Amino acid sequence: MPETRILFKHIDVPGIDRIDVYEQHGGYQSLRKAVLDMTPESVAQEVMTSNLRGRGGAGFPTGRKWSFLPKDGRTRYLVCNADESEPGTCKDQELIYKNPHLLIEGVAASAYAIGAEDAFIYLRGEFKVGYAILERAIAEARAKGYVGDDVLGSGRRIEITLYLGAGAYICGEETALLNSLEGKRGQPRLKPPFPATAGLYGMPTVVNNVETLAAVVPILEMGGAEYSKLGSEKSAGTKLFSVSGTVRNPGNFEVELNKVTLRELVYDLAGGPLEGREIKGIIPGGSSVPILTPDKFDVALDYESLAAAGTMLGSGGVIVLDDHSCIVKSTLRLMEFYRHESCGFCTPCREGTMWLDQVLERIEAGLGRPGDLEMLADLCVNIEGRTFCPLGDAAIGVLKSGLELYHEEYQAHIDQGCCPLGEVVR
Amino acid sequence: MNAERLAKARELLEAFPQKSSALIPILHLVEEEFGWIPEEEVAVVADLMGYTPAYVESVLSFYTLFHRQPTGKYLIQVCRGLSCQVRGADELSKFLYEELGVQRSGTTEDGMFTVEAVECIALCKDAPAVQINLEFYPDMTPEKMQAFLDKARQEVPSDA
Repeated sequence: MPETRILFKHIDVPGIDRIDVYEQHGGYQSLRKAVLDMTPESVAQEVMTSNLRGRGGAGFPTGRKWSFLPKDGRTRYLVCNADESEPGTCKDQELIYKNPHLLIEGVAASAYAIGAEDAFIYLRGEFKVGYAILERAIAEARAKGYVGDDVLGSGRRIEITLYLGAGAYICGEETALLNSLEGKRGQPRLKPPFPATAGLYGMPTVVNNVETLAAVVPILEMGGAEYSKLGSEKSAGTKLFSVSGTVRNPGNFEVELNKVTLRELVYDLAGGPLEGREIKGIIPGGSSVPILTPDKFDVALDYESLAAAGTMLGSGGVIVLDDHSCIVKSTLRLMEFYRHESCGFCTPCREGTMWLDQVLERIEAGLGRPGDLEMLADLCVNIEGRTFCPLGDAAIGVLKSGLELYHEEYQAHIDQGCCPLGEVVR
Repeated sequence: MNAERLAKARELLEAFPQKSSALIPILHLVEEEFGWIPEEEVAVVADLMGYTPAYVESVLSFYTLFHRQPTGKYLIQVCRGLSCQVRGADELSKFLYEELGVQRSGTTEDGMFTVEAVECIALCKDAPAVQINLEFYPDMTPEKMQAFLDKARQEVPSDA
C-alpha cells in the first residue's frame, strides 16, 4: 500500500523552494486559474465541493468555515495557522521548509476566495528558519506578480504578512493565536463570537491550518469534485501523517484517507517496531487524543473510523510506544507538557494539570499511594468539558484512556513501588 | 537596542493594520541582540509602543522564547517531547548537563552555552531533536553533541 502524494508530490524535488523550479512543476497555475478565470465565489464553491476538512486537528469542513463570513462589507482577514505545536506532529514543518511556495499559493488563492486582501501566516517562534524561507519565497512571488497590489494584473490586492510567535502551545488554538497576532498574551477568547464574525482586530477572519490551505492548490488543479472522490465521503482527500516514536522509519507520510489502516501506516510505511521490540500502543492524532491498543490497529485512517475506535484523527501526529516505553512515564511526560502549556486562565485546567502532574510524578517515583489511580480518574472528570478552551480535554486524552487500557501497569507501579519495566527512576 | 534594530523597530510599528501587533516582533529584535530581554530594554520597548513597562512585561512573560536572564552564545534547546523522550532525549540532556556542568535551564560560567529542556519543537520524526540558536539539529546523539561542542569551543576562545 503506497503513499498517495498530492501535497508532497514535489516535496523532494531539488530546488523546489525556488520559484522557477516550483513553476516548472506546475506551480502557481491554480492561483492563476483562480484569479484570472474564476470568481471568488466559484473558488470557494470548489473548496466546498471538495469536502476538504480542516487538517489542524478539529476536522471542521473548510468550505463551511469560509461560508460563515458575514457579507457586511467589513474588512476580512485570512490567517494561516503555522503554529504546529501538537506533540508528535511535524508535517507543516516539512511542508514549509521544503516547499514554501505551495503554502504561499494556497494562502493567496484562499485569500482571493474569501475576499481578504491581507493574509497572515502565524509561525511558531521555533520556526525562525522557516520564517526566513517563507520571507524569501514571498519576495520571489511578489516579483512575479503572485502577491502584491495587483495580483497578475487582476486588480486584486493580496498581501501576505509573516508573524513569528514566541513559544506557547496554546497559540495553536485559533482565538489564542489571534490574540498573540494582535501582540497580546496568547490566551483563548470566549466563543461566540467566532472568528468568522469577530476575529483579528475584531474583523471577520478565517483561520486555517497550513496543510488545509496548501490543499486548496491541488483542489483547484483537479477540481473539487475530483478531489472529493479521494478518500471517503466524509473524509475526503489525502492527509499527512507524522509517525514518530519507537518505529524503524519515522517520517511524514501522505495517504488517502479511509484507504489505509493505522497498522499499514505504522508497520509498512514507517517500518514497524524496532529490532526485538513490540508495539504496545499508538496515539494516532497528536498527544491530545486517546491511545489505541494493538487490537485496534486495523482501524482505517479517517475521521469517522478513528472516532468509532474511541479516539481522534486530530493533527495526524502518530506517536508509537513499544514494550520498552513505560506508560506511567509517558503520560507523566505529557502531563508535564500540558501543565507547562496551560495558559493559567481557567481553574480546572491550571490546577487540574498541576495535580495530575504531581500525582503521576509520585507514582513514577515509586511513591504512589493506594487510591492514587482513582484520584487521577476523578481529576480527569473534573477537567473534561469544564475548561474554557479545548486544552483541558486535550490534557487528559492519553491519560484517561491509558488508565483504563494499561491499568495493570499503573497499579504495578504503586504495588511494587517502582517501574515493572525497570525504568530508571529520576 | 542598537541604531539599526531601533530603526527596524520603528518600521515594525507601521507594518501591521494595528500597531499592537508590533510588540512581539520588536521583542524578538531585543532577544536577538542581547540573547535575553534586559529590564532597560523593556522600558525602551514600552516607550516605542506607548505602553507601560508593566504591560510589556505581562505579554513577554507569557512566551517561553523570551528570556529574562542572559543566555549563552549558544542556546541549546533539547526537545523533551514524548517522541524524543522514547528515542533518547533524557540521555542527551544528561550528557549535556554533565559535560557542561549545568542543570536544566542553566548557562556555563564562561557564557558560552545555555542548555534548556524544551517542549516539542515539531521535529518528531527526527528524534531526538535539538535546536541550537533556533536551528534544527535532527537525530542527535551524545557523540554528535560532543562534536558540536568541540567545534564551538575551537571557534570562539572561552574569554570571548
